[in-house]
Amino acid sequence: MVRIKYVERPELTNRERILFVDFIKGMKITLKNLMKKTVTTAFPFEKLTPPKRFRGTHAHRVKNGKEPPSFKVIEKFMDIEFGESRCVACYMCMQACPVPFLFNIEAIQLPDGRKKVVRFDMNLLNCMYCGLCTEACPVDCLIMTDIYETASYHRASCVLHIDDMKKRSIDFDRRRYGEPDRIWIDDDQRSKLWGQIKWS
Amino acid sequence: MELLGTVIGVTVKSLIFIIVMFLAAAYLTLLERKFAGHVQQRPGPLHVGPHGFLQPIADALKVLTKEDLVPDSVDKVLFYMASLLAFVPAIMILAVVPFGEPFTVFGLEIKPYITDLNIGVLLALAFGSLAIYGVIFAGWASNSKYPMIGGLRKAAVLIGYEVALGFAMVGPIMQAGSFSLREIVEAQSGMWFIIPNILAFVVIIFAILAETGRTPFDVQEAEAELVGGYITEYTGMKFGLFPLAEWYIATFVLSAIAVILFFGGWQPLPLMGWLPIPDIVWFFIKVFLLFMFFLWVHWTLPRYRVDQITELAWKVMLPLALANILVVALWIIFIG
Repeated sequence: MVRIKYVERPELTNRERILFVDFIKGMKITLKNLMKKTVTTAFPFEKLTPPKRFRGTHAHRVKNGKEPPSFKVIEKFMDIEFGESRCVACYMCMQACPVPFLFNIEAIQLPDGRKKVVRFDMNLLNCMYCGLCTEACPVDCLIMTDIYETASYHRASCVLHIDDMKKRSIDFDRRRYGEPDRIWIDDDQRSKLWGQIKWS
Repeated sequence: MELLGTVIGVTVKSLIFIIVMFLAAAYLTLLERKFAGHVQQRPGPLHVGPHGFLQPIADALKVLTKEDLVPDSVDKVLFYMASLLAFVPAIMILAVVPFGEPFTVFGLEIKPYITDLNIGVLLALAFGSLAIYGVIFAGWASNSKYPMIGGLRKAAVLIGYEVALGFAMVGPIMQAGSFSLREIVEAQSGMWFIIPNILAFVVIIFAILAETGRTPFDVQEAEAELVGGYITEYTGMKFGLFPLAEWYIATFVLSAIAVILFFGGWQPLPLMGWLPIPDIVWFFIKVFLLFMFFLWVHWTLPRYRVDQITELAWKVMLPLALANILVVALWIIFIG
């Protein structure tokens, strides 16, 4: 049995009825907003920089001496030059991805027994930018950048390849590597921005 | 010879009025878009010309060069007629609107109005309600459900506000003792008719908002419910004429009528009579202020339901208009 709660509708007072009080309140708000500055950006001419943790187009970090220790372990089994993508073809991203055929990763075994990544394609037409692949990456290779203009003229150009992902990562790290990962740096700044959070 | 002169004079004046009204309406669209933008804290048209100043021209070019689709199953005659019927009567009200006193340039007396009918108010009222038939015919002729609902809603609103509008105009006419708009203005040289007619002014504001389909009463297009209302099936310039006629020309002209009836037409604002401003400019300042008021209301209020509008019209506005007649009659008897 659904119980219905009846709420009295507040009646207007005679003063409000005759002098259009609510009407004038609304008009006041409109006028106030008319005087305010506009909040828009003229997009093709001005572009906003998203925060560093923005989930934009994917990129591959390269082998540049800043690898996490997990990479050092696997490195000796891999054929990766300095300045190449540090992908180890572990297929973790593919496993984490909720979309079936988004990744197309191929790796071969060289005659000396080491492993070489020959193909790493991502079909961004299927991507929902959830970021699970970047969470899964064990060597901090697959990342998401702050690039959000992904439109192009052909469907084929929506597929990322290992080379352009490498370039994008170099560009991204050059611009924003030193930046703190969050918009606040410590808890003091966070409480200044968001107020004290009470954990239950 | 005198007849020929009159004919040429009236033709030239009509052409000037129509062309200037077209240009003014085009730039009123820009004004409204800028106003609406800044009310919502966005800049409005910005890229065509400095601060979007040439946007109306770009819009006109776009609308004129668009493909003009006519759906297969429409009532062709009414479909074409409706857009004209919405537009022509709205601009024809201008024939009786006096913009100022007659003045003399190079020994030639120029009257800044096309004609001074002795039933000017009635003519304006008649053309105003005739313009609504454009909307109703558009709804009927489109042979589609949303325009049909829009047209019927407009008809329902029409029978609501029209009576109140007619009665509200009685007050100023009683005080001036004339139906001629020019004589009504001249009767206000001492005091504007807004003083005893404040109730009628409220009714007129309501009626103008309802007649031009501006926001609290824009049930006939109601984008959120009816797609585009009565203009859903229209394209190209036939589409463009409806908003141009209803939102801009009709609002502007009816603002002019309201200024003439209540705010003393081309009389200067109180305490500013010493300023060296010609009377035509005074008139346009007042009309512009009233137009801006309508824009302000439009971009503030949400929409009424149709039954609420009808209720408001019959239960509130009609008694107010009748009460105004009583007040004005007592005013005339006791004060003069």
